[in-house]
Amino acid sequence: MPANAQLQVTREATIKAVFLFNFTQFVEWPAAAHGSASSPFVIGILGDDPFGAYLDETIAGEKVATHPLMVKRYREAKEVRGCHILFINAKLLEQKDLLSSLSGRSMLTVSDAKNFTRLGGMIRLATENNKIKLEINAAAARDEKLLISSKLLRIATIFDPPDYQR
Amino acid sequence: MRLRDAPIQTKLMRVILLATGAALALACLAFVAHEFFTFRQGIKKQLYTVAKIVSANSTAALAFDSREDATEILDALKTEPNIVAACLYDNEGRLFAKYPSNFPDSEFPPAKFTSGTYDFVDGYLVGIEPVVQGSARVGTLYLRSNLDAMYDRLELYAFITLLVFGFSFLVSYIITRRLQKTITQPVLNLAETARIVSKKFDYSVRAIKSSEDELGLLTDAFNHMLMQIELQNMEILLFNQKLEQKVIERTNELRETNRELQMKNEFVETILDSSVHVIAVLDTQMRFTTVNNQFALVYHRTKADVIGKYYTDAFPQAKDSPTYYDIQRSLKGEYIHNPVVKSRVVNGYFENYFIPLRQNGEIYAVLILGHEITDIMEANEKLRLLNDQLIKSNQDLEQFAYVASHDLQEPLRKIQTFAQLAQKDLETAGASTQYLEKITAAAKRMAELINAVLNYSRLSKKREEFQKVDMNAILVNIETDLELLIAEKQATINAVPLPVIDGIPLQLSQLFFNLIGNSLKFSTNKPVINISARMLTGKEISRHAVPDRKETYVELVFRDNGVGFDQQYAERIFTIFQRLHDKQSYTGTGIGLALVKKIVENHGGYISAESKLGEGASFYIYLPVYHAPQVSLESIPDNGEGAGNQLPA
Repeated sequence: MPANAQLQVTREATIKAVFLFNFTQFVEWPAAAHGSASSPFVIGILGDDPFGAYLDETIAGEKVATHPLMVKRYREAKEVRGCHILFINAKLLEQKDLLSSLSGRSMLTVSDAKNFTRLGGMIRLATENNKIKLEINAAAARDEKLLISSKLLRIATIFDPPDYQR
Repeated sequence: MRLRDAPIQTKLMRVILLATGAALALACLAFVAHEFFTFRQGIKKQLYTVAKIVSANSTAALAFDSREDATEILDALKTEPNIVAACLYDNEGRLFAKYPSNFPDSEFPPAKFTSGTYDFVDGYLVGIEPVVQGSARVGTLYLRSNLDAMYDRLELYAFITLLVFGFSFLVSYIITRRLQKTITQPVLNLAETARIVSKKFDYSVRAIKSSEDELGLLTDAFNHMLMQIELQNMEILLFNQKLEQKVIERTNELRETNRELQMKNEFVETILDSSVHVIAVLDTQMRFTTVNNQFALVYHRTKADVIGKYYTDAFPQAKDSPTYYDIQRSLKGEYIHNPVVKSRVVNGYFENYFIPLRQNGEIYAVLILGHEITDIMEANEKLRLLNDQLIKSNQDLEQFAYVASHDLQEPLRKIQTFAQLAQKDLETAGASTQYLEKITAAAKRMAELINAVLNYSRLSKKREEFQKVDMNAILVNIETDLELLIAEKQATINAVPLPVIDGIPLQLSQLFFNLIGNSLKFSTNKPVINISARMLTGKEISRHAVPDRKETYVELVFRDNGVGFDQQYAERIFTIFQRLHDKQSYTGTGIGLALVKKIVENHGGYISAESKLGEGASFYIYLPVYHAPQVSLESIPDNGEGAGNQLPA
């Protein structure tokens, strides 16, 4: 049922959009990530945007500390610039070195792709029993000088397999 | 016992302990109140801290929709036993997680999106804390805590406070007990000394001074006072002795004066009581102040009976009597002498004197002197009666003298004349016989006259016995006696049945004889005599003034059709030897009607006559039906001058 499917997608997208916004509160970026006090805090979407207008509505008028929030949409990885949280459409992850090309910019990478954390992504939004669960690759975040709140870590599943190599 | 009447020791103890207790109680109360409010603030703060921790911990759970985690965080509240319920709301106000898990959802109030509030609601402390991560609000925390901890604390505090209070009070009691002695002991010493002084009247004792404070001053003052009293006592004692001496002297003087007064009193009393006069003194209110023995004797009252009583109370019958007014006049200053007064109190007559008694010109009493003159009055009355009788006798004598000078002289003159003629004509035969006959006739008439006079005078003197007399029988006898005369004159006598009365039979016969004889005598031809009789009382008699108005009388009326007489002579016809008609026309002695009147008077009756010349005469006779046996002084009525004038008094 397309209508139901559409609704399902919408609910999930809504939650994910809120989660994206909420990450701004539980993660600390290094000072260098911000240009000035009034420079925008950018949530970027790489590839097709699954949220539609929801994300824009969610962050409308919100600030992270002194930085106003804004959404930027990118078609390709090379367009990504000045972004703090980047939601990567799962489809784009088929590009082999996408994640490595995005590293070194203190950028929190988020995706709902299945093996995202294994690939070196930081936060995976996994759907389990109709609920969105978080899977965090804490080491990846640490490498990008991002400090994830212990509170966030507590509710999330930590991806830290012994065989993981960066 | 009320505090006011308690001993000073108790009083002091009570006052101090009361003040201490009140201060302690207030302090304890303030302590407990302070603890209460502080603790309230404390548990508020505690809950706030818990809320802050829980909300901080639950931000991620709310932000990333992790109910399990949220529930787990809330479950940590188990370590806070006072928190009975808690929950988290998401930003849409939906219940996100709750504690304890079996707590019903409906018990949680709708979410409030306020900043933190901590209030006491329905016996619970309720905290509402926003859950904020960074600058974003992710939900709301609700906490409900019971106040058991606070109450437990308060109980403990109350218990401690009570202990502190009790102990403090005990300590203050012990201290007070010891310290109050320094104040009360001197006071008690002073009181004890005062007690000894007032009980034994021993002013020589002194109170012991134990300190130099106000109580010491008081003790000094008290001792000084005792000394003063001791001194004054001695003075008073001395003064008393002098006073006693004076009192004895004065008492002796008074006793002497009293004795003299008593002697004087007895002297006066003896004089009063030995007086044969009635003596009484009345004060201005007309109360008896003094009466003498004679008074008591005459009025048959003891002195004690009347002394002090009002005149009108002692003798009610004497109210408004002349003596009563005499007393009142005398109390206004008049000296009164009332020579004859008939007493209303006793049967007797008095000569009274009323003398106002003055002191410093003011009348204070009236002295009454009464001289009983009953005996004199009675003697006077007897004298008056005797005098009346004498006057009557004199009149009779005068009449008799008249008779002697006229009527009796007439036959005597005739006897003299005819005796002289007989002497001269002794030689002339025949004539002497005629003269001697005339002398005989004159002598016979003389004898008749003398008999009549004797009869009349006998009526005046002699007292005869009264008895029941039937007047019908008398009339029959008289008709028999006058049979010849009645037949000769062709007279008719008509009589109604006559009553029986008390009377003297012979006199009543003479009455009928004379009246009927009189009518027959003064008749022309065929005389008719009507005799009527009726009973009536004294007051019904109009022809005479009858004093005894209740007495029963019989009225006898003798009516004839004879020559009659002029009404102007109606009185004269009853006088002895008064004749209205010449002897030639009618025979008679001239004594008959006088005799009738005498008989009527002897019976206590009345007689009168009514006539017109030539038209017959009517004689009205009133006789009492019953005879009162005694005719003595007592029955003599008052002569009038003494009526109403009595001594009561």
